[in-house]
Amino acid sequence: MNEELDSQLSAMFDDELPTAECELLARRLSRDEQLKARWGRYAVMGAVIRSERGVRLNAPLAGRVSAVLLAEPRLAASGAARGLRGGLRWWQPLAATGVAAGVAAVSILWLRTQSPLASAALNAQLARTPTAVPVSASVAATAAAAASYVVPRTPKIVPIVVPSTELANYVVAHSMFSSPVARRNLLSAFMTSEPGAAGVEDVPDEAKSGTQ
Amino acid sequence: MRPRAARNSGQLLALILASAAAGAAHAAGPAAAQAPTPGTPAEQAPTRWLERMNQSLTTRNYDGTFSHWHGGRVEMLRIIHRVQDGVVSERLASLDGSGREFIRTGPSLACYLPDKRTVLVEQRPREEPLVGFPTVDDQSASFYDIREVGRTRLNRHDTHVITVSPKDEYRYGYRLWIDDATAMPMKTQLCDAHGHIIEQIVFASLTLAAHIPDSAFRPEVSTEGFQWLRDAALPLPPAAAALAWNAMRLPPGFRMTVRSAQMLPGSANPVDHLVFTDGLASVSVFVEAQASHAPSPPVTQSATVGSSSAFSTVIDGHKITAVGEVPPATVQFIATQVKAQDPSSLGAPRP
Repeated sequence: MNEELDSQLSAMFDDELPTAECELLARRLSRDEQLKARWGRYAVMGAVIRSERGVRLNAPLAGRVSAVLLAEPRLAASGAARGLRGGLRWWQPLAATGVAAGVAAVSILWLRTQSPLASAALNAQLARTPTAVPVSASVAATAAAAASYVVPRTPKIVPIVVPSTELANYVVAHSMFSSPVARRNLLSAFMTSEPGAAGVEDVPDEAKSGTQ
Repeated sequence: MRPRAARNSGQLLALILASAAAGAAHAAGPAAAQAPTPGTPAEQAPTRWLERMNQSLTTRNYDGTFSHWHGGRVEMLRIIHRVQDGVVSERLASLDGSGREFIRTGPSLACYLPDKRTVLVEQRPREEPLVGFPTVDDQSASFYDIREVGRTRLNRHDTHVITVSPKDEYRYGYRLWIDDATAMPMKTQLCDAHGHIIEQIVFASLTLAAHIPDSAFRPEVSTEGFQWLRDAALPLPPAAAALAWNAMRLPPGFRMTVRSAQMLPGSANPVDHLVFTDGLASVSVFVEAQASHAPSPPVTQSATVGSSSAFSTVIDGHKITAVGEVPPATVQFIATQVKAQDPSSLGAPRP
């Protein structure tokens, strides 16, 4: 998914996308599962950032996302200057500064819970377009229950276990034992992004029990 | 970062397990490997193309610029690789992002992080590449479906399109566009078990140079005022006195190939380093004694670096961190299976 598409999604979410483009994007959303998933993640992330009413993400998680955002001066300054609700392209600083901790955690939670908030936002956009695709009854019913969004599992919030410098050490040390292609992928990813914590959670029972 | 025994006796401590012979044969280069006759079915086998690709990536001199795509972001990087008098030099630099650079000159690794104003420096044993390099064998091939799906022209190169599809969700797969003439991968896609692309590298330019000057391996970033973190030159305790860590259970196909003890830059404590591989994917497990003031209850944390995963937990007062180019569930599974054992019971874990 390219940056232009990301930009269009963000603009659509902020209600700043021209009607014609909105229609095209809505059609694509209706048939592109990957794009739909990204839309959903944006929906939850945006809701958390904007502290929208009716979004009841667990407080520690929301706090962690907020803390990450506040810790990023460029984002904080940008948000203050423009107003987070006023069309800030929040996906750009998120992606650019690698605040994967809150973002990935939120997206994982969204994927697990099939966020009704995301469905509601998507449905609203689709309904506004002249050729909106039909919305299934189940999705509509889910959207109606958006105010009762509940995260099923509350992750245990603990101090950072793997500081980024330490993770960098591990990545470099591990890269010496990877296959050449995997090593290039790993180091390239490390060169281009900030290693980010993707979430904090207990070990599921199935992981403890083994596979064989 | 030096192995414990390397400091004490001048010899590498890393235990060479199942893949030692294969790794040494691979590292010795094409001359040491059994080379099928060109044009024969064996020569054209997709696994043979993977071997040739690995040989090209590790033994050729090249200078290339490529795009790296992951998670909707695209950045350009440059890679320069040289093998001269048996010494491998490599430089990987982000051209339009963080400005980070990774430079390897023989056993010396340096990671320049301008965004953190930090330089990490590790010193590795020269023998190490002979030890843990994963290689595709019949056993590992049984966990992937490896086939050539076609030939196509890509950026003026005739390429073989090789797919490596995992048979379960413990590992990722690849689609590789391998240059017919040089066996260099011109394009690489990393895919999940369902075939969805999660990371892609495409070369925009690639030059195979006969000679690459030393100046190509100097960092462009100014390090004035940077913090330098080096592996501490501390005497390490004899290996026999240390706890032996092992994984009680592993995902199908994975086996331990390396066990070593290292010092990491900026760390005062030695770290045990275990490497597990299925022949294509590999996972490192780092075991470090926790400081007395560290949180005592078992905690876990996951992280990602591109498509690679990391998972950390605390077991018996030791921090266990697994890192690898595998799905998050795989590093989590392996990390939570690591336990301390009697040193006398050292050996490969149950497959």
